[in-house]
Amino acid sequence: MKMLFAQAPAQKLDLAKKLLLLNWPFLALITAIVLVGIAALYSVAGGTFEPWAGRQVIRYCVGLALLFAIAFSDIRWWLKGAYPLFFCALVLMALVPLIGVESGGARRWIGVGEMSFQPSEMMKIALVLAMARYYQWLPPEKIWRPDALIPPLLMIGLPAILALVQPDLGTAALFAIIGAGMMFLAGVSWFYFGGAIVAVVVALPHAWEKLHDYQKERVLTFIDPERDPLGSGYHILQSKIAIGSGGLTGKGFMHGTQAQLNFLPEKHTDFIFTMFSEEMGFIGAMVLLALYLLALAFILFMALRCRSMFARLVAGGIGLTLFAYVFINVAMVTGLVPVVGVPLPLVSYGGTSMLTMMIGFGFVLNAHVNRRVMFRPAEVGGLW
Amino acid sequence: MRITKALHYGAKKKPDYVRKQSYRFSRRALLVGGAQVGLFGVLGWRLQQLQIREASEYTLLSDENRMMMQLVAPARGSIRDRTGAVLAEDKENLRLLVLPAFCKSLPATLDALSRIVPVSKGTRDRVMRAAKRQSGYYPVLVAEGLTWRQFALLNVLSPQIPGMRTDRSAYRKYYHPGPMAHVVGYVGMAGKSEVDLDPVMRLPGFRAGRAGVEKTFDEQLRGTPGTRKFEVDARGRVVRELGATPSVRGKDLVLSLDHHLQTVAQERLKEHRVASIVVLDVVTGGILALASTPTFDPNEVVFKVDPMAWTKIARAQDQPLQNRAIRGQYPPGSTFKVVTALAGLHAGVIDTRETMSCPGVYALGRARFRCWKAHGGGIDVHEALKQSCDVYFYETAKRMGIDHLAAVARHLGLGRTYDCGLPGQKQGIIPDVAWKRAKLMEPWYGGETVIAGIGQGFVSSTPLQLAVMSARVATGRAVLPKLVLSPDDPAPEWPLLQLDPRHLEIVRNGMIGVVNESRGTARRSALEIPNVLMAGKTGTSQVVNARNEHKLSPYERETHALFIAYAPADKPRYAAACVVEHGGGGSSAAAPIVKDVMTEALLRDAARSPAFASSGAGAVPGPIAIVGDGG
Repeated sequence: MKMLFAQAPAQKLDLAKKLLLLNWPFLALITAIVLVGIAALYSVAGGTFEPWAGRQVIRYCVGLALLFAIAFSDIRWWLKGAYPLFFCALVLMALVPLIGVESGGARRWIGVGEMSFQPSEMMKIALVLAMARYYQWLPPEKIWRPDALIPPLLMIGLPAILALVQPDLGTAALFAIIGAGMMFLAGVSWFYFGGAIVAVVVALPHAWEKLHDYQKERVLTFIDPERDPLGSGYHILQSKIAIGSGGLTGKGFMHGTQAQLNFLPEKHTDFIFTMFSEEMGFIGAMVLLALYLLALAFILFMALRCRSMFARLVAGGIGLTLFAYVFINVAMVTGLVPVVGVPLPLVSYGGTSMLTMMIGFGFVLNAHVNRRVMFRPAEVGGLW
Repeated sequence: MRITKALHYGAKKKPDYVRKQSYRFSRRALLVGGAQVGLFGVLGWRLQQLQIREASEYTLLSDENRMMMQLVAPARGSIRDRTGAVLAEDKENLRLLVLPAFCKSLPATLDALSRIVPVSKGTRDRVMRAAKRQSGYYPVLVAEGLTWRQFALLNVLSPQIPGMRTDRSAYRKYYHPGPMAHVVGYVGMAGKSEVDLDPVMRLPGFRAGRAGVEKTFDEQLRGTPGTRKFEVDARGRVVRELGATPSVRGKDLVLSLDHHLQTVAQERLKEHRVASIVVLDVVTGGILALASTPTFDPNEVVFKVDPMAWTKIARAQDQPLQNRAIRGQYPPGSTFKVVTALAGLHAGVIDTRETMSCPGVYALGRARFRCWKAHGGGIDVHEALKQSCDVYFYETAKRMGIDHLAAVARHLGLGRTYDCGLPGQKQGIIPDVAWKRAKLMEPWYGGETVIAGIGQGFVSSTPLQLAVMSARVATGRAVLPKLVLSPDDPAPEWPLLQLDPRHLEIVRNGMIGVVNESRGTARRSALEIPNVLMAGKTGTSQVVNARNEHKLSPYERETHALFIAYAPADKPRYAAACVVEHGGGGSSAAAPIVKDVMTEALLRDAARSPAFASSGAGAVPGPIAIVGDGG
């Protein structure tokens, strides 16, 4: 392996070497999680590949192609393209209220002919790249300065506000978590984080006033689900019953009564973890969580082995995204946090979240392949 | 540390910052990793709490207190004719299902069931296969169309047979299926686009109108679904009902048809391969009979849907699914001379005094148009109608021009569809100069006017349109056909036609001559009821032309036979139009059918008796509609 890096670090690697450098065990891990998801979708549909499991396979294959394309591309392109990509995503998000398609009371989608996509999904990747690009540029000695905080806060704040306008509370929270986490990884002082927590506590009552009625309703029923067992608390209650009745070993594949008897809402998308742990029990749920934790550990170690700040933060940021998705989703279905409509990555049915995660992993692997690459100041460019 | 040397790009002056930054990243990444492990620990603790500590509690909730909500399909409104006879109604379909997941052993359950309901080897295999293929919580149909005895017995025994369920769904039953199929139509499962519009359509047993009146008035007949909320136990059996909102039955529909007359008409049409007839009440516009042969049995389409049977009907010879009375477009032939005569009189190009002579051929420029026989001299408008002289009408049409002829034809109700609840009506063609320019981008030629004068060439119309035309000539009013009776509707007061009543009288006399005077073309079809005369006009329309002559089989080359009529001649009440496809001459094939059906109509005189008043009226709840109390 040492020989592979005999060249100067800035030199480009050819494809054969990139193939050798790719983290294949990580790819196998991702595939294992996807397979669990496909089995779950097969069960939810009552033992058929129609209408979900089959399509999920196709989406995984498309995602895999994108993953490889990104993993083997030149990391310098992405360093250069990070800001333009971010602005593209920002403009598209700003356009959503104007030209977007409304579905379920919220405008989140933009249609392009037959296809439709969510600019906020694109933003999740673009935000990670842009933040990484910023801290790659920022000289380490300046990181403590308050004015160095302004660009990253803008990068987080603008998309978060646009997401709140849609209105999509879950995505706004996700942007905040990813952004804050990346700032922490980049080395921003503890004091700022302390200050931010104080500010949030002060601002919370104000934010409450701004929430939409349905969002307030979700928070309130979260605090007391029995408040309205047939209304909005129904989802959480039924979900808890389903998970709880799974017990240690579960009811068996394709035998989850709650899911199969249609007690569960959105059982193939946001609530798929519920169905999975009803049928597979505590043991199955733990195995799935362990798989995710293993994937997170892989990403963390990949980030640690990178030399450039850009590569570290890209890997670290995607890791945070994966973690935030999994944690919020599982906490949501087990009744720990309000229902915010976050899918379980790689498992829930849905093309957009699957593609977002696969593209994200493509970037992690890209960082890993280019782990020894360093950037000259000329390659990084200025602040912009 | 050799690595740090490599890190010195871009930061050579302050190496310790870079090194510090690298260390800080590692530190913080491990911190974040630690926090992630910790938070996953929280999730694990939560799952442990739900699935191990409180598992028994939730298992209890899941097993014994499962709430289910079910939509209840509404009963579809029934369809009756004017006498109150049911044409279509919902019948109960008692079904037997099994839920494999709740059976101790599926074969044992099936054995137990076969003691009450015969379960064939094929059914058994189908159920076993379905149970293996899909989740055990999806019910599998074992038998349907159970008798009440079987149904009651099964329900009594249900505690002893685990996994068994019975339910009551509905199917649509059609009466007088052959004659009524085209008008009443049939129902079917909702298509995908409809399901997207209204998810209620996904309910098992929910059917949407697919053809005929069932389709036009679908929304009205459909009703509103109700809901049922109940608890089920671990075996999937209903423990108790928690509440229900009842479904609302769809509204009933009363048609102006007389099923007896319709059946007589259908029987009479059967002698021919393809034929159709329409009988109208000229006072109200109500359609008393509208029959088309060949026909089909809608019961074969809706109950126990069998795709093979459906394909067989759809692809059968002469397309039985087609309703010729509204979808068959034929050149009206000589029946159109009624229009030409009225238009000529209206335009002032002919009058009662003028006579022409018919040498059997008519010349226009170098073209020659033949008459079906040489009628000789002394042909006035009455004789021309009576003997159906082509030459007289060639000349009439030439004198007034196509646009005037087309305007009068449209005024008499041709060339359009009617909003009477019959879906899929064809419009026919009443050509004029503008039409030809728009449609074919060609100028109009004089020869085309000449043949349009005898209802050939571009002219085409449906039997329903011809019946309306006949009713308008008979009454002098702009009658429109109606199919649905409603008690709220006042007796219609149709506006007068903008034609001179004297002209109408001349044409009516000609039509009386056709049936009742010597040398009239339909002399043999005069009514045999004393003191009641029928007025009519025969038509024999040519199918063959120079272009298609070689492609057609002998049957297809035969002329269409047409006849339009109304009766009684002195006080019109019924109008009719009949077309026999490739039936030969109008006087020999179509007129006798109309004579028999008209005789039946006059003898029953259904229009004069209030709707519902006769057969089985006592058993019929609902609105009493009195339509037309005398002409």
